[in-house]
Amino acid sequence: MILELLIGGVIALVCGLDRVAMLQILVSRPIVAAPVTGLLLGEPLIGLQVGVMVELLWLARLPVGAAVPPDDTQVAIAATVLSITLGHQLEALSVELMLLSLLVALLVGKVGQYFDHCARNYNSILPVQTDRALENGLFGRAQLLHLRGLLSFSAAALLTYFTIVTCGLLLIPPIWPWLQISMSYSAGLLQLALPLIGVAVILGTINVSRAITLFCASFGMAFLLMWLVQP
Amino acid sequence: MRLGWQTRLHVWFRLLFLQASWSYQRMQGLGFLFALLPGLRKIYSEEQMREVSLRHAGYFNTHPYLAPLVVGAVLKLEEERAIHGEDRSIDIDDFKEIVAAPYAAIGDALFWGGLRPLVAGITLFFAVKGIVWAPLIFLLVFNLFPFWFRIVFFEYGYRHGIKSVAYIQEHNLPDWAVRIKEAAVVVLGGLCAFMVFSHLLDHQLPSWPGLLALVPMILLGVGARRGMSTLLLIFITCTIIIVAGIFWIDVALFLKL
Repeated sequence: MILELLIGGVIALVCGLDRVAMLQILVSRPIVAAPVTGLLLGEPLIGLQVGVMVELLWLARLPVGAAVPPDDTQVAIAATVLSITLGHQLEALSVELMLLSLLVALLVGKVGQYFDHCARNYNSILPVQTDRALENGLFGRAQLLHLRGLLSFSAAALLTYFTIVTCGLLLIPPIWPWLQISMSYSAGLLQLALPLIGVAVILGTINVSRAITLFCASFGMAFLLMWLVQP
Repeated sequence: MRLGWQTRLHVWFRLLFLQASWSYQRMQGLGFLFALLPGLRKIYSEEQMREVSLRHAGYFNTHPYLAPLVVGAVLKLEEERAIHGEDRSIDIDDFKEIVAAPYAAIGDALFWGGLRPLVAGITLFFAVKGIVWAPLIFLLVFNLFPFWFRIVFFEYGYRHGIKSVAYIQEHNLPDWAVRIKEAAVVVLGGLCAFMVFSHLLDHQLPSWPGLLALVPMILLGVGARRGMSTLLLIFITCTIIIVAGIFWIDVALFLKL
């Protein structure tokens, strides 16, 4: 179990840095981060399912200026790790446990915004030190100070990941027997509902005139076409 | 002197770390200086570097994929200033300040608001079908455009300096952002239809009620537009579904299903 958590931690670190601090090639998107986590833990399909459900949820929240969107990256990685780790531990590697892990991760994942905010606040001491270094002609030090910012973003990513995982490991095993049966009845609908909520939020916030008309036309046409061609 | 390709490549690679020290105070300011330093070192003497570096360490914020255009242009302007002396008609700090905000708005709308949902929608078709290569499709398709922008715009900015602003105008990027967003809405509509239809088919339920999924979706969209948080919408919906699941057990037991 420790190894699984550590593998998740490494992915959380890399993806957490990609999210804001470096590269930004979007390996931090849930549709990438969760399946990669699943793949490294030997269950790629669980990761893929988590990725599908989380990807669209906060896609409408843009990282504009000083806005800090919810940390869907760590939510997706931690939910995948929890599903697989607890699945082995409770001998219940199932969609139901995956959904429960995801719901807990979504709730606890709110702390990600707080840690990210703290990292950005901590980085506010760097410009003052950089100015001092530049005034003294220490350009090498100024560059190191810039790269020191990576440490605060790394810390924020890891703290978010380990907070979600710890809460999940403490909360899920006691509530699992209580919710197991009801989750089995609602799993299919929950799996469908989460991406649809994400799309609904995108529709509600996207800055496109006639978004609802375009969406309904596209939905209706695709649905009718599938209905016509179904055997 | 003209900067060599090695120096330009060095600056370009450093742009990948533009936001490493992002802070509320100066946002990408230190990252901007970090990227410029290899170029400035070739242009200015050690003594001049102090004044120039302090100038570039100030506040700066734009979209990370369009920052290479600004950095390229600023390098060119610094180069011209070093060769021809002070040019009062083009103040480099003013140029940075003037272009940063519009470029940020264009980049946010184009990449975060348009391209990201579009590529995510396309990728999810593959992911829902259980194709494990879906993440790779996302990375390849999405990064094609940003990397084109990052590479070509940097070089264009360096070659044309202040005139690079015209390049953005020529390409009419704000219009492209609107078109991509519209395409994203259409793709997401098709994706939702596909997911609802597959769900009904998998559970051997009649397909026509699937069209009714539009009603709760529009209601949730209205809720989001009125400021309800995504997390609240998730927990309201999930609670309803889980509670319905619990009662469904009683109904099933009562009906001996």
